[in-house]
Amino acid sequence: MHSRDRLEQAFVLHRRDYSNTSLLIEVFSATQGRFPAIAKGAKRGRAPTAVLLQPFTPLWLSWSGRGEVRTLARAEAAGGALTLPGKALFCGFYLNELLMRLLGRHDPQEDLFAFYHAALTRLALGDDLDGPLRQFELRLLQDTGYALDLEQEWDTGEPVVAGRSYVHEPERGMRAASGVDEGLTVAGATLLALAAGEPLAGTAAREARGLMRAALAPYLGPRPLKSRELFQQSGGASTAPPLHEGD
Amino acid sequence: MAERSLLNQLIDALRCLPGVGPKSAQRIAFHLLDHDREGGRRLAVVLGDAMERINRCARCRTLSEQALCALCANPNRDPSLLCIVENPAEIVAIEQATGFRGLYFVLGGRLSPLDGLGPAQLGLDVLEARFREGGLAELILAVSATVEGIATSNYIAEQAARHGVRVTRIAHGVPLGGELEHVDGGTLAHAFAGRHAI
Repeated sequence: MHSRDRLEQAFVLHRRDYSNTSLLIEVFSATQGRFPAIAKGAKRGRAPTAVLLQPFTPLWLSWSGRGEVRTLARAEAAGGALTLPGKALFCGFYLNELLMRLLGRHDPQEDLFAFYHAALTRLALGDDLDGPLRQFELRLLQDTGYALDLEQEWDTGEPVVAGRSYVHEPERGMRAASGVDEGLTVAGATLLALAAGEPLAGTAAREARGLMRAALAPYLGPRPLKSRELFQQSGGASTAPPLHEGD
Repeated sequence: MAERSLLNQLIDALRCLPGVGPKSAQRIAFHLLDHDREGGRRLAVVLGDAMERINRCARCRTLSEQALCALCANPNRDPSLLCIVENPAEIVAIEQATGFRGLYFVLGGRLSPLDGLGPAQLGLDVLEARFREGGLAELILAVSATVEGIATSNYIAEQAARHGVRVTRIAHGVPLGGELEHVDGGTLAHAFAGRHAI
């Protein structure tokens, strides 16, 4: 059982006010997964913990309780907050929204936690936003049991080759595109690069974005992701938006 | 099933006030009925009027019973300075504490995708129209120093940049009378980064 004296690595995914001085936070911890907790009196006093309890800040947390909602006992900073510049911050919200939608509560995900931390660290560099997002999306599907195999056709078991085109079938995987396939086809080279975690640009980046959007769609539920809106409307013709365009 | 008494309905209705639970609601109801019927009647009339007649100002989205609030309608305010705040209460605070002579724009919250608050909910389309009108020299962002507040600032700053408007943000740092050792690391880092010559 979790002891209230043991500090665990965690992030806050989301927070909202709870009474005048407390916060209701959604915690993503390495050992216990995602769960809600009350931070009593977090907004009170000379050095309020509310300052620490923000998204994208690596934390050491301890908590108590056995019910659905835990009670936060202690919070300490684990290094400084990751400063996500400009659009990277919107990407951070997108990651959090994905975790809130796809990850069940109290489901330990130590690897995914480390991967999330690494993705935020890469986003904080601010130079490549597409890469960390695609890798995180893939990893999230894999760790929640919906792995998408990019290197093998789901129907024939043939390996994906760079020179061919492929089509994504929801909840199944990739299959070779035939002459009658219209709409979204993805180049084999893009699939292999995505699987290898290589940087993507231009058409390949757009293909990968569309593919991951289609692959996530069945698991996200009917409500559109709100963080995608931030990109659709914040123009910026200079660079392609790292999230998915349009609906 | 017996109909609920008027007294119970009153106690229930009072619980919509922030920080008022069943106990306080009961105390307020008894106080008004036993000791201050006149005050209760006045409250009922004013509350009813306010709920019907107070709406949002068409230009700055603050609460106002006129189509245009008193600040927006005041010809002595400088229309080239626009200060962005989250809530109407912050206008009051800034008006009392500072000598700001420009105009305001109230967001009514901050961008928070996980709460379903996007650009449309914050009236950023109204702000966009304001940019298109032109005549803005400086946009002052006075929003919370939380992650959501920073996201809001970034979004608006991008919007303003497209219209070539200068954007500033109020300073974050050590509170007056505050001692350094009690200031949290994040604030101190900000204060250090934003230091200026004296």
